[in-house]
Amino acid sequence: MNINKIAYSTFIAFVASLATLVSIQALSSSDRDAADDDALDSVTLDELAEHDGAESCWKAIHGRVYDITDYVPDHPTDEEVILEWCGRESTEGWDNKRPGVPHSARAEAMLEEYLIGRLVDDDGEPLEPEAAARAEEGDEAGDADGEPARLSPAEDERLHRALLGLPLDGHYRGVFIDRGVIQVNITFDLEDGRFTRLDYRHLAYRDDDYLAMEEDDELYPVMRQHRQILERLEGQPVTAIFALYEPERLADDIDGYSGATLRGAKIISSIRDALNRGVYSWP
Amino acid sequence: MRRWPRPGDIALIAALLLPLAVALPRLGGPGGPPEMWLTWVGKVSGILGLAMMLLAGAVSCRVPGFDRPFGGLARLWHLHHWLGFAAFILVMLHALALGLAAVPASLDAAVATLFPPLSHGALWLGWLAWAAMVIFLAPTFDFFGKPHYQRWKRLHLVSAAALLLGLGHALLLAGEAWPWWLLGIAGLGAIAWRKGVAPSRRHPYRVEEVVPLARGVVELVLRPEGSGIRHEAGQFVYLSPLDERLAAGRGEEHPYTIASSPADAHLRIGIKDLGDASHALQTVTPETRVLVEGPYGKFFGRRFPERDMLWLGGGIGITPFVGGARDLASGAAREGHVQLIYLAHDSSRAYYRQELEAIAGRVEGFTFTRHYSRERGRLDEAFLREHCPDFTEREIYLCGPSAMNAHLQRLLAEQGVPASRIHSEVFDFL
Repeated sequence: MNINKIAYSTFIAFVASLATLVSIQALSSSDRDAADDDALDSVTLDELAEHDGAESCWKAIHGRVYDITDYVPDHPTDEEVILEWCGRESTEGWDNKRPGVPHSARAEAMLEEYLIGRLVDDDGEPLEPEAAARAEEGDEAGDADGEPARLSPAEDERLHRALLGLPLDGHYRGVFIDRGVIQVNITFDLEDGRFTRLDYRHLAYRDDDYLAMEEDDELYPVMRQHRQILERLEGQPVTAIFALYEPERLADDIDGYSGATLRGAKIISSIRDALNRGVYSWP
Repeated sequence: MRRWPRPGDIALIAALLLPLAVALPRLGGPGGPPEMWLTWVGKVSGILGLAMMLLAGAVSCRVPGFDRPFGGLARLWHLHHWLGFAAFILVMLHALALGLAAVPASLDAAVATLFPPLSHGALWLGWLAWAAMVIFLAPTFDFFGKPHYQRWKRLHLVSAAALLLGLGHALLLAGEAWPWWLLGIAGLGAIAWRKGVAPSRRHPYRVEEVVPLARGVVELVLRPEGSGIRHEAGQFVYLSPLDERLAAGRGEEHPYTIASSPADAHLRIGIKDLGDASHALQTVTPETRVLVEGPYGKFFGRRFPERDMLWLGGGIGITPFVGGARDLASGAAREGHVQLIYLAHDSSRAYYRQELEAIAGRVEGFTFTRHYSRERGRLDEAFLREHCPDFTEREIYLCGPSAMNAHLQRLLAEQGVPASRIHSEVFDFL
């Protein structure tokens, strides 16, 4: 068999294989139709939003909801890239694997294995990707009901607080830095002007990283005192921070450590830094 | 012909494997479930296929001298031919494997992978490249019978489109671009050189004389208009006659072996009436112009310089040996002894015989023997033993009709002559 015959035979075999594949597909094709969708469970944007992390990751793509939690570790790109879209309307990410490049047909077929429902609005009507994305954006602006985003100056609470110089409700982050080194990095939310979800992102002095300490550590009680402070600020109005000028008002004397060790002023400073910076992200 | 790799081969293999080597860290190894290894096979065959396609283009540049690291232009064209063939097969394997890889997902996915919506332009570029390949390779591989040489040559230019489309396909879809730019520039640059620059760099000659040697065989004696080419004995050139009275082949280029010595100020070319163009050349008008491109080939390249040589020439295949003998006659130094056996039907077809005999009489270390098949049948071992007892120890050069070549190759192999010691350059498909 010479090279020409091999080339010709391979060419014919190739064309025949493609023709077979296409004809079998054409003869057995099953289109996705509306009836299929009706049989699926309904998922609202709020339900979707609850599954927004690696432990449970749901995504809405082209009006359908997929639970891809099990697939996340197998995805070829960095986990962050795929986790970014968890709990959200993700059609845009799906259609732009790289800018302008959608996922492959094979990926699409694999996705169908993770189908769990269809995306609906609060009235149970199917939600198209664009409408869903708009609703999500509206949500972030504190406007979940699809009302016009612009409020009257007479009723815009946020505007009122800003005009009076009062801190707005939202998520805050701030730091206390001394001699170029971060000692306190704090995070909290304000709800109705009161502290919630206070936490340290970083707490250190010289070479001691308090957040990394074990219970048998010598300085562990200091860390507990600092935690106590946050627990006691929880639910308090912003003005409560000034009590920290006398930290013993907020923290117990644990194992003989007293206010002298506890630098309340650093916490005041980091909270005021957070307030000065303004809202870090809207809740 | 055999005996490889040569320096050019090694460079070629390195260039061929470059895109794959760059992509492999990303692709990983084959393995896993069928859809995974099919995907791997699909990607690897695509990468190798395109690399072969681009390199087949690159080696077709036909820059004089470029062929030598590859063992001559004839061998380089063989490489080109095989690269093109393998690329064609691999490209189809590439598409089929990627399509089949999606079958476990679903049939719809498989078909959509191969034939996505038109908005997936990058993928359709791949299909267009394949279609262009079919257009220019179908005549090469005689899908629909043997085409006319000049039409085949024109159709083969569609390869430039195939390279461009394939390159676009890869640049848009592949992870790493720079190896493709590199090979792409080499491949397309070669075609641009061949079709754009090279034609204007051919050497003009005048036909000084047309010497009839036998029925249907002439020797053209060409006088350079400028500096002319510099060549070695046994090399060949592409000749384009410009005589307006030619019945066929005017302006077309065809390869012919140089029969003159490098020391000769004239270029002498023996031409046998084998086709339209060479038939027309038998009566080319003296003092018309021809354009010469070359030289190419490495016919007398030595692999065992310490050995004596045996030259076996037949038919018009005697021309490189005429060149070699004339080279010896003009005083060229050649190590060892040379014996030329001229295989002809009878004395009327043994053109150049008298000149060769005269050279043998003058030049020490050069022996001439004739073998007429009309009298003695096909050349056999007994004849060789009688006239060249040490033939199995010599480095042997063959040139002649393909049947003669095949017969001699077989005969010599049976006598234990290793293939590496047999030289032949066949350029009947050039």
